[in-house]
Amino acid sequence: MPQAMDGTFLHEDNASLIFSPLKFRYLETKNRLFRSNLSGMFDEYNGYGGNTRLNWEEKFAKGGVGCIISSYTPVAVRGRILIRYAMIDDDDKIPFWREIGNRVHGYDCRFIMQLSHSGRQQDMGGVENLFKRALSSTNQTDFFHGILAQSMTVPEIHEVVEQFAQGARRAREAGLDGVELHGANGYLITQFLSSGINDRTDDYGGPVENRARFALEIVRAIRREVGPDFHLQMKINGVDHNNWLYPWKKKGNTLEDTLIICKMLLDDGKGVDSFHVSSGSTFPHPRNPPGDISTQNLVRWYGGMLSSGVRTRFNYRIFNNPIGGPLFQWLWRFRRGKIIEGINAEYSRYLRSEITKIDPSIKFLCTGGFQHAANIAGVIRDGSCDAVTMARPLLANNDLPQILRTANGPIKQKECTYCNKCLLNDLANPLGCYEVSRYDGDTFEEKWDALIKSVMSVYQPTLFR
Amino acid sequence: MNYNPPTPVERVLARNRWSRFIIILLLILAALYYLIFVNQYIVAYRDDLDHFKYGSIGSEPANGFPILVFKALPVMFRDELGPTGYRRFGMLYESEQSELPVGMSRRIVSGVERVWLNCAVCHAGTYRVSLTDQPTIIYGAPSNNLRLFNLLKFFLKVASDPRFTADNLIETINSPAVGGNLNFVDRLIYRYVVFPRVQAALQKLSTQVSFIHRQADWGPGRVDTFNPYKAIQFNFPMDAAHVSDTELNGSSDFPAIWRQRPREGMHLHWDGNNTSVDERNLSAALGAGVTPVTVDIAAIHRVRRWIWDLPAPAFPVPSAIDGSKVERGHQLFAEYCAGCHGMKIASGQYDYDTNRFPRLGQVENLDRIGTDRDRWASYTQNFSAAQNTLYAGYPWRFTHFRKTAGYANQPLDGIWARSPYLHNGSVPTLRDLLEPAAARPKKWYRGSDILDTGRVGYRSDGFGSAREDLFLYDTSVPGNGNGGHEGKSYGTELPAADKDAIVEYMKTL
Repeated sequence: MPQAMDGTFLHEDNASLIFSPLKFRYLETKNRLFRSNLSGMFDEYNGYGGNTRLNWEEKFAKGGVGCIISSYTPVAVRGRILIRYAMIDDDDKIPFWREIGNRVHGYDCRFIMQLSHSGRQQDMGGVENLFKRALSSTNQTDFFHGILAQSMTVPEIHEVVEQFAQGARRAREAGLDGVELHGANGYLITQFLSSGINDRTDDYGGPVENRARFALEIVRAIRREVGPDFHLQMKINGVDHNNWLYPWKKKGNTLEDTLIICKMLLDDGKGVDSFHVSSGSTFPHPRNPPGDISTQNLVRWYGGMLSSGVRTRFNYRIFNNPIGGPLFQWLWRFRRGKIIEGINAEYSRYLRSEITKIDPSIKFLCTGGFQHAANIAGVIRDGSCDAVTMARPLLANNDLPQILRTANGPIKQKECTYCNKCLLNDLANPLGCYEVSRYDGDTFEEKWDALIKSVMSVYQPTLFR
Repeated sequence: MNYNPPTPVERVLARNRWSRFIIILLLILAALYYLIFVNQYIVAYRDDLDHFKYGSIGSEPANGFPILVFKALPVMFRDELGPTGYRRFGMLYESEQSELPVGMSRRIVSGVERVWLNCAVCHAGTYRVSLTDQPTIIYGAPSNNLRLFNLLKFFLKVASDPRFTADNLIETINSPAVGGNLNFVDRLIYRYVVFPRVQAALQKLSTQVSFIHRQADWGPGRVDTFNPYKAIQFNFPMDAAHVSDTELNGSSDFPAIWRQRPREGMHLHWDGNNTSVDERNLSAALGAGVTPVTVDIAAIHRVRRWIWDLPAPAFPVPSAIDGSKVERGHQLFAEYCAGCHGMKIASGQYDYDTNRFPRLGQVENLDRIGTDRDRWASYTQNFSAAQNTLYAGYPWRFTHFRKTAGYANQPLDGIWARSPYLHNGSVPTLRDLLEPAAARPKKWYRGSDILDTGRVGYRSDGFGSAREDLFLYDTSVPGNGNGGHEGKSYGTELPAADKDAIVEYMKTL
């Protein structure tokens, strides 16, 4: 491969690598750009999808990504993370997801559904869960928001395993291209996997092999339902970094722990087809989505979570405090570190190198701030991963894949700033890019109008025309 | 361009937050101001006697020294005071380790711990039976040691001494002898606030009491009660044109302060210028440095409650009482003395009944009593008028002060501990007092606390002390006259044996 004198590659080479197809065992995508798990509170309260969600997913397919991985899709209402997100808890949701698949496939874009269960990380459980403690591997309260948890009994574990299996079956019946287990970022599967959270003394806790039992049972149950030839991938933390907020908390899983889990989930070739590498045992986490935190937006929108946990009021007071707010922001930046784009690449490189020694057909996706061709091609070229997944940069520029064909990235003003205002606005407002500086206009008001127009574009076209 | 401007709601909230912040800050500052600069802190004592010895009566805010300055002065002026510090002025330290002498209290004013005087400084005496004894302190007895004149002169000297500088003061405070350990901030405070204030206050005092340079040394156990009072409380002009030498010679002995309940209504002070114990107490407190603004009424009332029924001390050497003469003395005392002074009755209680003893607590005309006039002269009509304006606006405003025509008759309870005798302490022993004036000692030594258990009084012959530690009392000095209280009716013409008997009886009072 031709290389420029300074060790970098020509953009043409980067682009040709990025836009080369990727072949999984049972799935092929047209390029190496995946949209990561991202959606807004656009759907019906009871978990039915709607027109806005169709518009939403279509935006990205149209933008040119090779594959879309859905936002977290609860396999049961008990496992909901936020209200107004479409679910896959019943067969009656299949028609909606079938329509999603159809829309996306029209752009030669694949669609993988992320099957998820919040566990105790239930940011807004909704009225259905108002009088229930969240299911988890532990009785320990979530340390960030103080969401109350209840350790699952073995029958409850079996029930949830089955809910995942049925979710996968429904995804296949809907004609989607695969499923992903959300085993990262602090949700239920992480709560079992992580040594920082799982304090069980039964077969599902203790050594890493036991902690991985829950995930392995899900993988096997899914395979039982969907067969061996339906794409199944696992999103997993390279490292947990469970002590980011309170240094006295346990650190959670190391990279070695993760490697053991990945090996188990291969299940001798009968398990998962790929891994999607992230990090951080909570969501959000300074490392995921990597970037800044806006205390101004925290104060504006965190209020919706006040009734969710026993520490939310304390957090709110910190965010709203003239000293506490900046201190929290400093901690957030400090715990993230200097790297944003490709923050998980090293974890992914290690896991991929070890796993492909065992089974070269296993592919790796890596998430974390990717928006420049050189960086994306770089991590593919150096063996960190086979493709990258992107969320916020695509939210900022729906057509990022088209930009990357011809340029290293968006022009400076249009780049994703990793401000994470999208994340915080999602608690109350339509999901979109809320970074004013990115928008055109000579005054703040003009820019704000442009922002609103962009954010509201998800409602177009309307259902009734 | 600010890409993250506050919303209108946030703008108002931010403004409110500032207002809230400023209000809370002001409240905190006000609280700190109150706690540091307004509120004062004292050491409270559980025991009434400790309160008497060391409790604050409010003299510190207007007149007190910062404790470190007070402790530094004897170190800075060791060549003047010698190694014993304030002991040189007759101040009593209960032990070698005592930080402050008896009669000195502390109070934190404006964040600085200050010390100054309380009642005990003038009303605690000592005695020894023999030379080798440790002095025994009698609380409530007149001080026989305190050299207030010299103490005052020392402070006046400090005020104008070129060695009294901020540098020297700070250096001395930080020296091991004082152990003040002033840090950088403290040093700044001492240099720019404390030192200039102390110096200014001392210089002001120098100006106010400059008349003392016209006075003879008051000597140990004596005070010029009213001339400093005129100057300090009322800014009376004290020059020779306004205050004659006679008026200036009013030094007199400190009084005992026990058994005040029966004294209420009697004419108090040597010249009997007041009949209210409370007014007399408050007035005396002014002498200790209290002002009508800073006075701690509750603390003074507590002292009052304690001295209300404080018993007079018993004669410490019962074996030195010749029982065979007491009865005879009793009869003679009843005949010659009790009418004016009251006496002990059969039950052993002192009888203060003014119906039984009609002259008790009454003022004896100068011409009749004949004792030195100058103390009487120092208390003037003008001054009593001024005194009756003190505490105006308070329920305890002075109303009782009067110029009288002579000296008041007093109960003689615990009289053995009140030597020397007469208002000006001009007669060293009871036995001497029973002699005609011409036969009384003309020059004798004050300042000893060794008891003469025979003649009843402190040794006046210089026994047991270096002469320079004693004060040569010269009855020829104006104000020091030892005449009066003599003649047939005063028993000075009785035979010696009868006089001896009276003295033996008086040991039992």
